[in-house]
Amino acid sequence: MRVYRDDQKFLTFRINALLWAIVVVFVFLAGSFWVVQGVQAEKYRNLSEANALREIVTPAKRGLILDRSGQKILADNQPAYSLSLDRVVMRPIVKGDPAHRVKIVAFLAHVLGVPPQEIEARFEKGKAIPIARPIPIAEDLNMPQVASIQAQAVAFPELNVVPVQRRNYPYATMAAHLMGFIGEVTEKDLARHKELKQGDLLGKRGVELMYDEYLRGRDGAQYWEYDSHGRRLAEYRPARKDPVAGDNVYLTIDFDLQRRAEQYFAENEFVGAAVALDPRNGEVLAMVSSPVFNPNVYSKRFTPDVWRTIASNPFKVELNRAIQGLYSPGSVFKAVMAMAGLSEGAIDTSTSFYCSGSGVFFGRRFRCYNKNGHGDVSVANALKVSCDIFFFNVGARLGIDRIAEYAHKLTFGEISRIDLDGEKPGIVPSTQWAAVKQHRKWYPSETISVAIGQGPLIVTPLQVANMMAAIANGGTVYRPHVVKMIEKVSPDGKVDRLQVASEVLHKVTLAPKALETVKLGLWKVVNEEGGTGGNARIEGLNVSGKTGTVQVIAQHGWVKTEGLPYKYKDHAWFASFAPKDNPQMVVVVFVEHGGHGGVDAAPLAKLLYESRFRQQFNDANLDLSNPDTLEAIKEGQAPIPGQVKKAPAAPAGSNPNLGH
Amino acid sequence: MARDNIRTFSKLDFNFLGTALVIAAVGCLLIYSATYFDDPGLGIFKKQLLWLAIGFVLMLFCLFVDYHVFFDIAPFLYGLGIILLLYLMAFGRLTANVRSWIHIGSFQFQPSEFMKIFTAIMLAKFFDNHERAYMDFKSFFRAMLIIAIPVGLILMQPDFGTAATFFPLVAVAMFFGGIRWRIWAAMIVVVALLGLGGFSIMKPYQKDRIITFLNPDRDPLGKGYQVTQAKIAIGSGGIHGKGFRQGTQAKLDFLPAHHTDFIFATLGEEWGFIGVVIVLGLYLFLIFQALTFAKKARDRGGAFLAICLIAFFVFHIFINVAMQIGVLPTTGIPLPLISYGGSSTMMFLMAIGLMLNVDMRRFGATSPA
Repeated sequence: MRVYRDDQKFLTFRINALLWAIVVVFVFLAGSFWVVQGVQAEKYRNLSEANALREIVTPAKRGLILDRSGQKILADNQPAYSLSLDRVVMRPIVKGDPAHRVKIVAFLAHVLGVPPQEIEARFEKGKAIPIARPIPIAEDLNMPQVASIQAQAVAFPELNVVPVQRRNYPYATMAAHLMGFIGEVTEKDLARHKELKQGDLLGKRGVELMYDEYLRGRDGAQYWEYDSHGRRLAEYRPARKDPVAGDNVYLTIDFDLQRRAEQYFAENEFVGAAVALDPRNGEVLAMVSSPVFNPNVYSKRFTPDVWRTIASNPFKVELNRAIQGLYSPGSVFKAVMAMAGLSEGAIDTSTSFYCSGSGVFFGRRFRCYNKNGHGDVSVANALKVSCDIFFFNVGARLGIDRIAEYAHKLTFGEISRIDLDGEKPGIVPSTQWAAVKQHRKWYPSETISVAIGQGPLIVTPLQVANMMAAIANGGTVYRPHVVKMIEKVSPDGKVDRLQVASEVLHKVTLAPKALETVKLGLWKVVNEEGGTGGNARIEGLNVSGKTGTVQVIAQHGWVKTEGLPYKYKDHAWFASFAPKDNPQMVVVVFVEHGGHGGVDAAPLAKLLYESRFRQQFNDANLDLSNPDTLEAIKEGQAPIPGQVKKAPAAPAGSNPNLGH
Repeated sequence: MARDNIRTFSKLDFNFLGTALVIAAVGCLLIYSATYFDDPGLGIFKKQLLWLAIGFVLMLFCLFVDYHVFFDIAPFLYGLGIILLLYLMAFGRLTANVRSWIHIGSFQFQPSEFMKIFTAIMLAKFFDNHERAYMDFKSFFRAMLIIAIPVGLILMQPDFGTAATFFPLVAVAMFFGGIRWRIWAAMIVVVALLGLGGFSIMKPYQKDRIITFLNPDRDPLGKGYQVTQAKIAIGSGGIHGKGFRQGTQAKLDFLPAHHTDFIFATLGEEWGFIGVVIVLGLYLFLIFQALTFAKKARDRGGAFLAICLIAFFVFHIFINVAMQIGVLPTTGIPLPLISYGGSSTMMFLMAIGLMLNVDMRRFGATSPA
């Protein structure tokens, strides 16, 4: 206990001083308020009235998506009617008539044909939006709905029918996986993109996602005066901000090729994927994944059931099989084996092995698919007839790590960095892979499986296309891309075009002799009697390729795939390029549980080459067997787009795969 | 002992308590008026009533327990506060750029608010033990250290506004603790250096606030928006105000934070200049009475406790009211007993309880021996 004594006076004096200081401060504050509320009251009263402005967002028009020619519009915007609800108007009505809320929910449920709980859910969702902004209730109203709502405008003044631009995909399912779709922003999107608001729509998958920053544009705003009861008075023009339309995106996709490929899958009811690309620059000319979905169904706000329906489809509709589907490459991989064997000196062009139908490697018996055997075969003929025994021998001589080295060089085992989301890298096994990922030793007998594209080796159809492109163009690996050009149209009509530059990822040094031999073998596959890819032959065009038939389950003995149930049927591959010299297009076709590569996959490649080379000379009836025509094709007269400006193939940082 | 207690409580100053409760009631009316339109269920209003009820109980606790007991346990309270702040630094969730809330289920509170009380008690205890009218360098350094530790931890959240509210304790220590001119000179140099250094490490949003404060009209729909809208609300209220529940600025969402930091603007809009003067008058009356408590306190500790708590009130009122009309930059500093908010409402009611505590026990007879 300390009674204070010596400084009583000191403290009292200072407390009094503090009191007076506080009085002065308070008088100063009151004086400041007097200036605002007494002297300038009139000015602020006017401001308060004029300032009862509410922001009405005018959505920007989303950019178009077009095919490579710019003739076909694959995604546009259609005028439609949305319904929104203004809570500032609704509040006072509910105050006066507590039953109003129930009435409006019942009315909306009736007009929109949804249960009242769904309407309540949309009200609930709108709570995240500031009260001054209307909440979205429905999209895509039909005319009778618009009429019934407007007939009740007096009873429900808080409802507004708003003309909007709805995303539309005129060709519905066409290139759906590649185009992607749009959807409402999530909390995650809002955290990432500061410029977005609750209720905005943005790209969710595919090109719509990857090029969203270009396509989206910038919303405008109008400022409307409201009275204190929430009634709209007049627009405050000086503050108006016009919306800026999004940029148009031109795909590298060739409309005719894409359509033809999709038709092929649809007509045959095939599940699978196809990729066509230009080996001279990495442009993707067609990319098909089957089965397809309709992005028009996705690109809406209020479709809670769609996700469930699609996610539960046993064929995994949403999967873009061309870049996300992982499959054993099967015999298609023999092209890599031949290249590795020749380049590493494990074999030369004349090395031959005897095929009796089976052979013993590392203590195990392995069978060739041809139980009668191929006899003596050298590398070019081994490719032609797809002899397994030959490549077992090449695999045994090379060892897994040298195989892996060439697989990596020819694009397997890592993403190709295409400008699409969700690309999968696949697996290229090696002794290191076995040790790091599987914590085990690699057995030499496994190498024998890998030598014919089976075993743990898995790849995407796009990777196979990239591999073919690298062989076709002599070793250059391009970054594949689906967007060719971005077109900015400024409000004053000025058009600015950004060409997407082709990007070389790396160059593989391939011995000219090896390259020539492999190409010869691939040519024989299609063009010589007894080759497995005869179905892709076009007289004179010199289509070169490799078939593949992948066993889905381990078989003991020789089994015909035709007799197996669907899910055990073999996968069919055909990977090709044409023409043999100066190649201009790579086509890879993959049919899940299709049966035989040569039978089920090769015919589509033929269709696509015919379509492409006729179209190139603008003649549907072009005779591809005419030597002059072929001469022109060989010289590569297909125009390579001039590069006006360089632009990255995808908006920087928007590809979640970059940097892997 | 019981008789002593009765004698003690008979000294309870009902004028002071009454003034505080009238201010809190005004706060409730303003919160109701500012939020009934956005929040028809009156959830915010009802929550504030709950905070006041909890705060009232805490106030009674702060009043019944002899403040000397608080001095005895001051190091524990202070230590507890530091631990909570350290906990925040390690595990706090980011809310609006800062890490100043502890979440317990759906309940959340700001330890920094309670730390204000604990620091004030710790500082008062320090002066209770320090009987000389003037401090030497060593004592002054100790007093500053008591304040600097929580301030440093809060700056790391980083909550610039709340850290600034500890400044009145520094002023109290310097002005009432008594320091020589040499220390004054040293302090001025240190503060100037810290100020310059502080600006260079501030977060961009904090710098924006200061720059906007210097020129609010630069960007009327941008960062100066709050101040512009607050001034429109206050000015349009005029002398008489637009009337209870008639303000449009808050109702139509033009005025952000209209029930928290900018509630005084709602007062200006709806109750006019008359309302502003009345509320400022109530605050001045409260402060006047509290200063009288400090003068009459029976020991240095009591006097310093009262002064520290008054200093908090004065500082919060001044900063908050001045920012409404752009006299000072916008900070997240609540208006005592009026702004919506659990932690600050409880903290100010506890402060009221402690001040009454000092006043009640101003006579020697009932003090613990």
